[in-house]
Amino acid sequence: MSDTRRMLAEMADPLFAELSSSATMERDWARIEELGLPLLLAPETEGGFGGTWEDALVVFRLAGYHALALPLPEAIIAGRAQEGSQEHFLLCAFARGAQIAGALDAALAIAVGYVNERQQFGRPLGKFQAVQQSLATFACEAAAANCAAMGAAQALDRGDATFEVAAAKLRANRAVGVGSTVAHQVHGAIGFTEEYGLHELTKRLWQWRSEFGNDAHWSRVLGELVVARGSEAFWPDLTARTDPTRVD
Amino acid sequence: MQTFATEAVDWPESATALREQVRALVAEHGERDPVRRANCWTKADPAFSRRLGEAGLLGMTWPREYGGHERSQIERYVVIEELLAAGAPVGAHWIADRQSGPLLLRMGNEELKRRWVPAIARGEAFACIGLSEPNSGSDLASVRTSARRDGDDWVINGQKVWTTGAHVAHFMIALIRSEPGSERQQGLSQFVIPMDAPGVTVKPIIDLTGAHEFNEVFFEDVRLPATALLGEEGNGWKQATAELSLERSGPERYLSSMALFTELVRHAGKHPDQTVRELVGRLAAEAWTLRLMSASVAAKLARGEDPALEATIVKDLGNSYEQAIPELVQAVVEMDLNGEDALARVTAYLLQVSPSFSLRGGTREILKGIIARGLGLR
Ligand SMILES: Cc1cc2nc3c(=O)[nH]c(=O)nc-3n(C[C@H](O)[C@H](O)[C@H](O)COP(=O)(O)OP(=O)(O)OC[C@H]3O[C@@H](n4cnc5c(N)ncnc54)[C@H](O)[C@@H]3O)c2cc1C
Repeated sequence: MSDTRRMLAEMADPLFAELSSSATMERDWARIEELGLPLLLAPETEGGFGGTWEDALVVFRLAGYHALALPLPEAIIAGRAQEGSQEHFLLCAFARGAQIAGALDAALAIAVGYVNERQQFGRPLGKFQAVQQSLATFACEAAAANCAAMGAAQALDRGDATFEVAAAKLRANRAVGVGSTVAHQVHGAIGFTEEYGLHELTKRLWQWRSEFGNDAHWSRVLGELVVARGSEAFWPDLTARTDPTRVD
Repeated sequence: MQTFATEAVDWPESATALREQVRALVAEHGERDPVRRANCWTKADPAFSRRLGEAGLLGMTWPREYGGHERSQIERYVVIEELLAAGAPVGAHWIADRQSGPLLLRMGNEELKRRWVPAIARGEAFACIGLSEPNSGSDLASVRTSARRDGDDWVINGQKVWTTGAHVAHFMIALIRSEPGSERQQGLSQFVIPMDAPGVTVKPIIDLTGAHEFNEVFFEDVRLPATALLGEEGNGWKQATAELSLERSGPERYLSSMALFTELVRHAGKHPDQTVRELVGRLAAEAWTLRLMSASVAAKLARGEDPALEATIVKDLGNSYEQAIPELVQAVVEMDLNGEDALARVTAYLLQVSPSFSLRGGTREILKGIIARGLGLR
């Protein structure tokens, strides 16, 4: 991780953890502004961080991880694209994908912590193979959502990223299904209570899955893109997206 | 909890040129039949392997001294993903280039290295993996094939099974019990066994598609010199499990079914069916993600890390993806599986072979156990 990103994480993580899902605009927004986070992408000449999308990813992920109830991603994106524009929609989809990735990691951590504590049949639930296998499946999905969010951030920093953001949001949406189901299943009834905090994450996961493009939306966009380019172009296009451009 | 540390992959400047090189080579000597292109890393074509060797595309990362080309892991990755995406018949050399060569270089004595490594890099020596036995599948630590000392020699007796490519391989790296009476992970060693050694018998096992890819291998008083011991006596378990990271992370774990995806896109272009296009989009998103994940593991290997957990995650997700494709295609596209249409033929073929994807290289259940351990549950 670059120094900027480490610094951003060290700044945002404790604050978001403290504010988390109970934050309100009236009470807490000033603290977010104090850190200058809404100006993350603004150039340094305008008092911003001059951050990249990979930097933004760190903040979006953590906002998701802590189920932060403040529209920080929206504020960060506001300076970049006109609300209502296609670009705005795409950037917000990227933010939601990153938030989903963070929230899945948090839900996974809570679930793993819980099954290591909760005893049934004389041993921790986590010692039962069926429970282990479900959580392993969850871990794979969380890994995929995180990797996809990273790939989308890198693409945004390179330029046109419609394909990558579409793919990352779609992949994240799909991971929500498995992740939230397993997280609730291994918690049993306690996870279904208001008192236990799992729902702060899962409610947002379900919400974010719909926002800025559901599965049908993005699979249609991607499908059209791929089909329009033709079957033989898919692989060369995919590799051309990441290869350093040729210098000749 | 982040189980998969995502980091940017530094794609090399040479990538474009390498891709062009591979694409040209495949066009000249590739595989055109879409059914044979599907699952291509099991399709042996020794002439093609030699051609790759001549072109300097095998043993790419190995020292020049042993016939390698001292290129980076990521350059190698570029080459192998190109080969698989094109459905090139790479099965003959795949195992040797992917894992046996690196293992020999890391663990082998000078004689073993000289004998095998340059030949692998030329595309002339092929390898097979001798792990499974009739009573040792998932429970690999129960292997019973034995190596007994006789003077300076080792004498091997026993049997391996499901050995992919034993019938085209020149040598096997086998996990064998070298200490009489030892239990489980203790007392195991790895041996390099030339397939033409007296006492080695290979018997084909025909798979459910009618193809001959794997085999039973019998050892009857196979006499090997002391130098056939690979690495350290008694260290076989550790060596064999470390080798599995090389086996699990590669793009073959998600690209086997690329030929079907290509046919699906072709089909979708001809029929403006929304469901089919949505499926294309969904599969494209997954392929893109898996490519990033798989390359990210390659980048970690390149830095000398052992991304065993990440490699396992990639294999598990990749296998599930590859297995899902034929089923999803079957569910949305009307087709006659006995028909002549390329899409139907590839679908029919992959429906049959895809159950093997989550068996070979470690079963889904065993992989999930490894991931669970990574999560701190075991
Ligand atoms: C196409 C193909 C190529 C192969 N190539 C090679 C090769 O080149 N060399 C080689 O050595 N081997 C090879 N194999 C063998 C492969 O590694 C084994 O099939 C695999 O390790 C499983 O062993 P098994 O088939 O004996 O199944 P078993 O071990 O009998 O398992 C049967 C089922 O039970 C499950 N199971 C077993 N134990 C547990 C447990 N503790 N918890 C939960 N579930 C469990 C398994 O996951 C599996 O689903 C190949 C297999 C295939 C299909």
